[in-house]
Parts: sequence; C-alpha cells; structure tokens
Amino acid sequence: MKMRHHLPVLLLCISCFGILGCTSVQPWERGNLAKPHMALDASVLHSSLSQHNYNSREGAAGGNSAEGGGCGCY
Amino acid sequence: MEIVRKAVDVAVTRLSITKTKSVRSTSASLQALTAAALALPGLIAPPVFAADEEVSFQYSHYQEGKRQLFDSKSTLNPIEVDSLQGSAKIKLADRIRFAFNYTQDTWSGATPITTAPLARNGNRWKGETINTGASPLIQATPGVFDKNFNPLKTDNPGDPSANVIGKDTRLAHTLSYASPETRKQGDFKLSYDFDNAALDIGGGISIENDYESRFGNLAGRWDFNKKHTSVSAGVSYTNSHTQALLDHAAYDYYHYKPFPFKDQIQNTSDGGHTLSGDREDWATHVGLTQIINKHALINIGLGYTYSSGFMENPYKAVTFIFVDPNSDNQHRLDKNLNGNYAALFEQRPNERNQWTPSLSYVQHIAPLDAALHVDYRFSSDDWGINAHTFELTWGQPLGDGWTITPKFRYYSQSAADFYQPVFLSKQGLPGSHALGADGLDTAKKYNALNPRSLPSNYSSDQRLSGYGALSGGVTLSKQFAKGVNFEVGFEYYSHAGALKLDGGGEGAYADFNYYMANAGMKVNLDSLATSLGESNHHAKHHQHTTHQHAAPAGVMFDHVLHNAGDVMVGYRYMYSDQSGNILHGNSIAKDSAIIQHGCANNTCSSAPSYMTMHMHMLDLMFAPSDWLTLMLMPQFVDMNMSTRELNGAPEDPNAHSHSGGHNTGGVGDTGLYAISNLFNKQGHQINLSLGISAPTGDVGIKLRDTHGLGGLFIHYGMQLGSGTWDFKPALTYTGALNNWSWGAQASGTKRLESKNASGFAFGDIFQATAWSGYNLTPWLSASVRGVYTVQGKVKGEFNNAHFGDSAEERPWGGSQDYTGNYGGRFWDVGFGLSAVVPNGDLQGNRLSFEWLQPVEDDVNGYQVERDGALSASWNYMF
Repeated sequence: MKMRHHLPVLLLCISCFGILGCTSVQPWERGNLAKPHMALDASVLHSSLSQHNYNSREGAAGGNSAEGGGCGCY
Repeated sequence: MEIVRKAVDVAVTRLSITKTKSVRSTSASLQALTAAALALPGLIAPPVFAADEEVSFQYSHYQEGKRQLFDSKSTLNPIEVDSLQGSAKIKLADRIRFAFNYTQDTWSGATPITTAPLARNGNRWKGETINTGASPLIQATPGVFDKNFNPLKTDNPGDPSANVIGKDTRLAHTLSYASPETRKQGDFKLSYDFDNAALDIGGGISIENDYESRFGNLAGRWDFNKKHTSVSAGVSYTNSHTQALLDHAAYDYYHYKPFPFKDQIQNTSDGGHTLSGDREDWATHVGLTQIINKHALINIGLGYTYSSGFMENPYKAVTFIFVDPNSDNQHRLDKNLNGNYAALFEQRPNERNQWTPSLSYVQHIAPLDAALHVDYRFSSDDWGINAHTFELTWGQPLGDGWTITPKFRYYSQSAADFYQPVFLSKQGLPGSHALGADGLDTAKKYNALNPRSLPSNYSSDQRLSGYGALSGGVTLSKQFAKGVNFEVGFEYYSHAGALKLDGGGEGAYADFNYYMANAGMKVNLDSLATSLGESNHHAKHHQHTTHQHAAPAGVMFDHVLHNAGDVMVGYRYMYSDQSGNILHGNSIAKDSAIIQHGCANNTCSSAPSYMTMHMHMLDLMFAPSDWLTLMLMPQFVDMNMSTRELNGAPEDPNAHSHSGGHNTGGVGDTGLYAISNLFNKQGHQINLSLGISAPTGDVGIKLRDTHGLGGLFIHYGMQLGSGTWDFKPALTYTGALNNWSWGAQASGTKRLESKNASGFAFGDIFQATAWSGYNLTPWLSASVRGVYTVQGKVKGEFNNAHFGDSAEERPWGGSQDYTGNYGGRFWDVGFGLSAVVPNGDLQGNRLSFEWLQPVEDDVNGYQVERDGALSASWNYMF
C-alpha cells in the first residue's frame, strides 16, 4: 500500500536525475531522435482512438476534457 | 529502410539549416519535441504533427463482449461503436498553422443500467415465458433476505410469499439496450511558431442527442538550452450540458422525497422524462521534455483538473435493498425477512479535484533501429480513485516503409469512496411510487424516506469500481514514397476485478472485454509538393491535375489515370435532406389520405417529418496498367430521421416509440470499380466503368425494445447499406474545348440478389445526367447539370419483427415502414463550382462543390419531399 503511493514520487525523482545526467546533443546528431517511431506518440491515429475508449471506460479519465469526446455514458 | 534513412537525412540537413536560418523549416526532431511537449497525457489533445500539411482519415470499430449473466440468456448484442475521423492541417502563413479535426461515433447495443443480486432476476429473461430482450427490471419489487440481509433465491422472484430455495449472493448486471445514437465533434487548433516557442489556441464542440460539450484551450511551449529542453503549459475549459431522455422502458427509478433531481427533471410532450444538468471542467497542465542523449528523450508532466456540477451518469441506476429488521410484518414464518429492491438515480459529489503526474521515456535501440516507449501515468482524485497506467510500446521499422508497433498496457484503479455494487438501507420501503406512474407532484402525498439513512453519495457504475485492465495491441503502417501512409491497428482489452494492483477488486460478474480495430490513411501534402518539385515525371502529372476540365462534384467515374503506377487519393462528401410535405406521386398528400392509403392495407399513424443523410467516401484510385484504373471506395454514412403523428390518426398503442428522432450510422457499402478509357481523341473521351458494390453496410439495425415488443427493425431507408451485392456500370462521355467542358453519363445499380440477410432488396436504379462547365478563371470553374433518376420499390420485406408487419399484429407504423413507399422518378438541376490550387505548397489540390436542386419528384407511394443535396469532393493526383 505504501509502496503504491510512493511510486509516482519515486518515478519523478528518477526522471529528474535522468535530466540532470543528460549530455549535449548537436542538431546533426539528432537523426535518431527525429525518426517517426521515436515521436512521443508514434501512432497518432491509433492512439487517439484507444485514448477515447479508455476515457469512456475508466474512472481516471477526465483529465482529457479539453479534447471533447462526449458523454461516453453508454 | 531506404525511405526512412532519406527522411532522416533530410531532417538532419534541415536541422543544420535551422541553426543558421531561422525556425522556418521546423526540423523533424523539433516536431517530435513539439509533439512531446504538447502530447502530455491530460488536457491537451495530442496534435497530429507528423507534417506541416497533412490530410488524414480513419475508421474504427469497437465491439464489447457479452456480459456474464449466469442463468439469463441475453439475445442482445453488446455495445458497439463505429467511429470516423478526418483531419486536415495546413499552413496559413510562414509561422501560422491551422488544424481541423472532425470525429463522429455511432453506438448501439446492450450495456449495464444497474447491478443487482442475481436473485432479483433483473434481466427478466426467464425461459420461454417472457420475450427475449424484454425490459430491464429496475422498478421496486419485493425480495426475500436472510437475517444477515443476504439475498435469497425463491421459486417465484418478485413474490414476497414465495418459497425460499437458498442463499444466493451472486450479483449480475442488469442490461439495457441503447438504440443507435450518433455523436459529432469538430475542433480546431491555430498555432503560431516563434523562433524558440509556439503558442496554440484551440476549441471545439461535441454534440449528441443528450449531451453537448464546448471547449477551448490555450497552450504554449518554450524551447531553450539549445533546444535540448522544452517547457509547455496549458489551460483548458469545458462546459457540458446533459439532457438525458430517461429510458422509458426503465424509468421506474425509485422516487423518494426529498427527490434529489426534482428541479432537473422535465416532462416531455410525449409522456417521457428528461434529466438535465450542467458541468464545468477547468484543466491545467505543465510539462517538460528533455533530450537526454543522441538516443533518448524524456517527458514529465503534471495535470490538474477541477470539475464541478452534474457529474452523474444519467443512465446508471443504483440498486438499494430496503429491509426493516425491526418491523414485525417484515418477518416471515421461515425466519427470513421480507424487503424490497429499488433503483435510485446515482448521486455523485458535485466537485472533483484530480491530479495526474506522468512520465514518458523514449529510447532508440540502435542495433534494431527500434524505438522503445515507456509511459507511466498516475491519477489521484478526491473521490478516492487512485489509478496507475503503465504502457510499453515498441516501434519496429521492417524496411520498405513498413513499421510494426506492438503495445502493452496495464491499468489499475481503486474504487471511488461512494462506490458499491448494491446498497443496503435498513428501513422499510418508504411510501413512494415510480417516477413514470402519475407525475412528479403527486409523490408529495407519500411518506418521505429519511435521507439521512442513505449515504450522501452512491454509485454502482462499473467505471468507479476497483479493477484492473490489461490490453495489448499492434499497429502496422506502410509509408509510400509519395507521402501516403496507411495504418491498420488492433487492440484487445480485458477489464477484470482480479487484475486490480493490490487485490480487492470487483467480483468477476463485472468483468468484460472489448476489441477495437482501426484503419487509417495519412496524406502528407508537404512531401507531395517536394517530390513534385524534384521530378519532371511528377511535374507532368501535376500539370494534368491542374487542368480545369473536371466533372461536377456529384459525378463519379469521369476520369481515368493515364500511366501505370499513378495514384489518386480523394474524399467525397454528400449531404441530402428531405423534409416538409408528404408527396403521393407528384402532388402533396393530405394526412387523411396518408392514414388511409399510405400503409398498404393497414392504417398509417405516422409519417416522416424529415430525414437527413451524411455520406463520407474515400476515393482511392490506382492504375495497374496504362489502360486500366482500379478504384476502391469505402463509405461511412450516418442518418437522422424524425417522424410525426398524422392528424386524425387512430390512437397508436405505441405512440412515443416512433415519434421523435432516430439515428443510425456506420460503415456503408464498399465499391470496387474498374474504369477503362474506350476512346480519347481531340478533346473527346469515353470511359466505361464496371463496378461491384459489396454489402458491407449493416441492414439489420434495430430500435431498442419498447414496451416488451422485442427489438424491431428500423425502417428500410435508415439501414446503412443495400445488403445485397450490386452491379454498378457507368458509361461516361466528356469533352473540352478552350474554356468550355461538357459531358454526359448513364449509370445504373442492379441488385444481384433478390433479398438480403434481412429479407428485402432495394429497387434497381438508373440515372442519366449531362452537364456543361466553363472556366471562370484559370483556377475556378462553374458548372450546370441536369439529372434524371429512376428507382424501383423495395422488394421483399423484413424477415423479422418490424412496424407495419400485419402478420405479427403490429400493424401500426408509418409510411416509411412500407416497401411500396420507396423509389420513384426524380429530376434535379445541379450548380457546381470547382477550384484547383494553382501554386504554392498545396498546388494541384482540387476542391469541388455541387448543389443538386430537385425540380420534380414523382414518388412511389407516399414519401417526404426532397429539399436538395450537397456534394463536395477533394482530390489529389500524383
């Protein structure tokens, strides 16, 4: 139970250290980062639909209100 | 592989230019960053940022599996949703981008309305004695309980003096069936790019029969640290209005005093009730995206949402068990207790504060050229729901433009504080009555329930229960050199109480699963323009595209592709509207005549007041050889219809079941055509098109069960396709001289089967049309067209329960329910405009519109008058 509540904090800390540990990457070294499958949302079409399904079926939805999406009451 | 490498080379080159030039050519990695910054989970819609200028379409189908109902057998299909999305993104000026999205969903099927002990027999599917698909039971009925308030199974559910068989604590959902409903949403985003920042402003509206939502958002992004770091922030506001038509087969929500929604319930003209409410959501988020090294980037975000107002789900009832152990008359001789089951509207708090921190990490795996995405999101709110989402995605290029992306997702949430599947209240059923029985006000004379004996909030909506969900999916995409990308995807999702992170989830009765399949296409207009500029070969085609001799928007099959390997992509939209008078032949029919003659041998009680149809079609053309063009045309349709009662019609025992509006929508029939040029000389062309229409549209759509009649087929004209394989030939002549163009076409639809799976076939169609066009400017032309159409009556009849079915003692119905009231002879005049973008990035794109104005109708039987039809088309050949 405790572990569950601390998990988000833990992950945030890890990510902060991740950022501190980052190296300088010149623009011409960003080829890999520029690849389409490296985009944060690599399958935009599919994930917009998936997200819509989750929003109408899961209790934690609601943070996405500015996207519309309707009532999803069914 | 080669293409991917090229794309990267271009991106890298562009990036080094960025350094010296300005932000004008936004690098692909910056785009990734932009996407990263803006696609923070939460508030802001993920932007479709693969390219600056892009058009995309996609379709998806969502299908839920059957629920566990134990000894009840449901013949109802579980809920299913068909969705269509289209979006366009263009650059308005150097630094200004505009994106527009359109989405529509149509759903229907069985879904839980409440949860009740199995002993209550809420689904009432009891062997042979009751119609399958009968109304769900939510009104107050007696039940028997042991001294610990456990439900007992009896030999006659609902009878307080029935004999007890034994304890049965199993729960089951009570299912209710939703007739097809459609939601439509349009939203936009306007973006301005600064050298090291961007500002987005967006908004939209989502409309469905019972829910309307408007939203606006503002977001900014700032890049610094040599673009290693981006910070984003945004705020959004949503205002939603619910106006739910309470299920008239199940409006016996238990009504007690003080009634919580007293001021929010209105009576409708036909005896129904609506529950309305307003809700507001304010959402903010901040995010940070950081390039860690050449192979990895990370994104962290935090969202906060404040919601207030009516957050109840108006279609979910909560089952309460009312037992008063202190009352003598509730004690049975067998020492068990008599009590009652009753369903109440759910009560949720009027406020909600939700926090959502998130973390995303993307790592490039060099040996495989793959991308590993790891996402985690936490959500915590003051309703007591804590949720964790873990997602792993692996993007694997396969070479030749193919990419496969498997994904795995795990979600777990704790239950809301006020969630319980069933509630117990230790008091007798307070004097009250069902809402529908004799109006709201008379309830005052009944004894009040002591509200303090109920919790202040309660819900049994499965979304608020404790559970976990596992899902897995895969998308496969193919990038073609000419900037076209096709994608198909599949996802399977399994919701189960046992999957909850640390146990204690909801029982297995509530488990369900669904799958979603999607197919989409993106056309990158940027890369089209680039490839056209680079190659003479393409420039030649390009020239061809810009010629101004296109047929009006409503005409198809008028041109062929001339060279093997050519591809054309297009989108067509058609809107038609019928409303106003009912015609008989070519004259207006009086209501009294419709009543007598409009419904074959029966008496008509209603007639359509309007019917609208929207049809979206994709136009995909490919030339396998110089003389043959193949065309694939998937369609998506949605229709809306309303009927009115005829003046002087005899009383219909089922009046409000078919007045008011109905919607249907989903995939229509799919056309496959082969077009060949028979003659081409000195400005004259003759094309022959032979096509087949595959019956992919649903012709078995039913209205929800009303008054225990069982599901009835919705009228012929509201079904989504023909249901039959159809042969569709067309012969087209076109000519052009200087600024003038002209043409003529004869086309037909011949049904290849005498009836479809639902027992009927639409009439054959023949159409003749001729037109003339003139180039007003080098890029704009106008056209005038005449059209004659003839169509036969519907053959056969629905082979299962439907209105107007005299054999089934269901003679009441409207003119739309009779097969003789379809088809006829129709004359129209069309006025069209067609524009082609003459230069710039969007050069070669053509947009055409045509309005078809009915001139004369000579209808079969009795039909509602036509108002006109609008056709619009966009196409691009490359």
